[in-house]
Amino acid sequence: MFLEETLKRIQSHKGVLGTIVVNAEGIPIRTTLDNSTTVQYAGLLHQLTIKARSTVRDIDPQNDLTFLRIRSKKHEIMVAPDKEYLLIVIQNPSE
Amino acid sequence: MSNGTAKMKKPVVKVTPSSRFSVNPKMPSIYQSGAPVKHNQSIMNRSVTGSSSRRSVVLQADSKLLDKGSLQTGKQAIQVFDEQGNDVTPLPLFHPDPNAPPPKQSNFFASQDASMITAPDFLSTISMYQTGMNTSFAGPFTRSIIGSSTVSKSSRSTVESMNEEIEEPGTKRVISLSLSDVQIRREEVKDIVTEDMLDKTVDVYLTETETLWILDMPATMISTDAEEAETVKLRTQAYVELCKNRLGNDLYVDRMMQTLNDAPKCKEVQCEKIIRAEAATMATIWDMYDTFLAEEASKEDNKTTKVTQPSRILSRPEESKGTDAMSIISSASISSLSSLGVDAESIISGLTKEEPSDPELILKSESFQQNLCVMERIIMENIFQPKLADYRQLHILKDPDCKPPEEDGIEEEPTEVTATTTPTLDRLWSFSCEVTKGHNVSSMAWNKINKDLLAVGYGEFDFRDQKGGLVCCWSLKNPMWPERVYHCESGVTSLDFSIGNPNLLAVGMHNGEIVIFNVQRQEDTPLIDSSNCFNKHTGPVWQLQWIEQERGASGDDKGDSLISVSADGKIAKWYLRKGLDCTDLMKLKRTRGDKSKKPTGEKERKIEALISRQAPGMCFDFHPKDANIYLVGTEEGHIHKCSCSYNEQFLDTYKAHRSPVYKIAWSPFSPDVFLSCSADWTIRLWQQDLLKPVLNFSSVNRAIYEIMWSPKSPMIFGAVNEERVEIWDLDNSILDPTIVSSASPGVTLTTILFAESTDCVLIGDSDGQVTVYKMKHLTSGITTQANALDDLIGSTLASQL
Repeated sequence: MFLEETLKRIQSHKGVLGTIVVNAEGIPIRTTLDNSTTVQYAGLLHQLTIKARSTVRDIDPQNDLTFLRIRSKKHEIMVAPDKEYLLIVIQNPSE
Repeated sequence: MSNGTAKMKKPVVKVTPSSRFSVNPKMPSIYQSGAPVKHNQSIMNRSVTGSSSRRSVVLQADSKLLDKGSLQTGKQAIQVFDEQGNDVTPLPLFHPDPNAPPPKQSNFFASQDASMITAPDFLSTISMYQTGMNTSFAGPFTRSIIGSSTVSKSSRSTVESMNEEIEEPGTKRVISLSLSDVQIRREEVKDIVTEDMLDKTVDVYLTETETLWILDMPATMISTDAEEAETVKLRTQAYVELCKNRLGNDLYVDRMMQTLNDAPKCKEVQCEKIIRAEAATMATIWDMYDTFLAEEASKEDNKTTKVTQPSRILSRPEESKGTDAMSIISSASISSLSSLGVDAESIISGLTKEEPSDPELILKSESFQQNLCVMERIIMENIFQPKLADYRQLHILKDPDCKPPEEDGIEEEPTEVTATTTPTLDRLWSFSCEVTKGHNVSSMAWNKINKDLLAVGYGEFDFRDQKGGLVCCWSLKNPMWPERVYHCESGVTSLDFSIGNPNLLAVGMHNGEIVIFNVQRQEDTPLIDSSNCFNKHTGPVWQLQWIEQERGASGDDKGDSLISVSADGKIAKWYLRKGLDCTDLMKLKRTRGDKSKKPTGEKERKIEALISRQAPGMCFDFHPKDANIYLVGTEEGHIHKCSCSYNEQFLDTYKAHRSPVYKIAWSPFSPDVFLSCSADWTIRLWQQDLLKPVLNFSSVNRAIYEIMWSPKSPMIFGAVNEERVEIWDLDNSILDPTIVSSASPGVTLTTILFAESTDCVLIGDSDGQVTVYKMKHLTSGITTQANALDDLIGSTLASQL
């Protein structure tokens, strides 16, 4: 219940373009974008997350990746990685 | 026999054993080959014996052969005649070198004329020898033949010498004697020569040897100009015609052959498919670390599994079912909401965790919630970044890709000469959401540990408008939604965070109840409430405070205790003992005013027949340095100074206000000074020793709901009355507030709270909004000394005298 509320709230925040929850295999569980975009985001970000995590842990194995933010010209992509899923939010902060 | 072309003819002289006896002792050399020689010899024997005709062969033919040149000493050449009398004298095979060594052989050959060799034998022997002979074979046989006949020494020597002669040209001649004998012979001859002719000049002639044809493959084509061209053409033509005529020609018969092919048999061999799979792995540092850790963890599985162990594998949310997973404040550690360190521990993947990849489960998992939380905050941060940065006095990041909006639009900064900038309140943002809309903000409190956490109580002041109360815990990181929402039965009138246990939030309500929430939990139910207490308050709890007391009563070692004042005139001290229980610190008795005596005499007696003997307490404040002394403000307008040691008597009473004193606040900088505000539109500054206020501040004719000293500057305090916020800067002016900010119409401002470390002030209003303002350009701040207030007071007092 709390989860649903939070998700809804996030989706309704100012500037948020889309929210995606993807499981470990890349299958979207929840999404507010269309399927092709979702799949594209999921695939690409999954790889990037793996690489980022590998980087972080290579430097210090006791460390781990907690959050990943990619800021681009048009918007910001925020990825909360986990072992079983990926939480992706795309926001346009300058709106 | 290619006699015409081949020039290598060997002189063949053969003597058969049968004819040997009639042979001259000086026998010619015998050229033998190996086995065929014998055979031939036997043939020869037979031929010799069998033949009726004999031909006499003069051995002198040899001499002719050998010394063709000047050595013909009148001997008769050997001539061979066949039966018809034709001269079939074999032509000489060998033409010796004219410079050959002097011929002793001539005598030898001359005397050898007794051989009887038949012509065909001779021919056959020639032919035989032409086929090629071997010296080695010749040797022993020759010798044996020679040995078998009476051979004189000289003959032998002559034979040898002849052999030598024959051998000399060094060509294909086969010498009957062994090589060693020949060589010996040769050397002797050479020695003789060199001694004699040392001084002579020897002419050496070098001539080209004869051309040796090893292989001759004549071309199949000849030029049309060649001599044989015509013949070749004719032949070719004849052949072509032959080919044409071949079909019907009897000379050519077509024949065919058939090979019988056995039936083919298929044989197949099949092996199992070799499945290839590529396996690759990358050994990264963390991979190795994980593996190593997993091994260690499996060993430790039997041992105690504490949730707080740093081993991530064990600390999965299953064990901490919501108690600590979403801990906002953990009493054990100082990890605040802002720090994601706590989050990291549970987000880190556990190796032994078998969580099904069910999407629903994923969504419900703790880590997901946490991530959501974090995500929301980050979104907020993106949205509110300028404001938050301003709040925290950080540099505001300018988004490089968007035009920075003028956040200071209200302010005069862009066009301002910075020398004189009027102090203003800059609105940053406001905490509000749908849940809180419409509720009156009654109290606010910062968390003692986590300075970003704010608890806001919503409840109506007036007894008429009572509805359900609300407690929201807001985080600065998320201005749009509270972290915690607790619903209460009646309006919340006061709240405070505990110092010793920062997760405990005590809430006082309008119905007199005090509840304590554990903000680590989400549930609405409080940890403890005071409903079972006998001594509980019967009137609205107007103020709550956790006080740190050095002296610990029996069992109270925590160091802080909850003090509450309520409208029933009691100041109670609460402690946890099988539930919330309280003892009375003080009962507020009504005191009469010095001047007025009501004619009804209701107030004259200490024990009155009023609704209650007690004077409703509205507020209190403990002395910042001395936890024993505290001030209480009552509804009557009196301020009593009390001590914890006495619960019957006041130490002092300050009378000045004519209406309920809503707030009392000791100055955090000057230990003797305190401030009070009341509904009589005034704020009064007191000094502890004086029963009269030192200074009075008033600006508008509105009840002042709350005041608060600025924690950073001794001369600044804020006051909120119904319609505006006033920031007083005593350094600036004691008559007027320095900053005034009006509320939006229809909204009354009710509470004020200063932020600890920044220049921000939070204002709560009756609409459920808590607005964060930043004080700008307040000149007096850090520069003023702590005793500036004392100076002021001193000067004021001095001026009053």
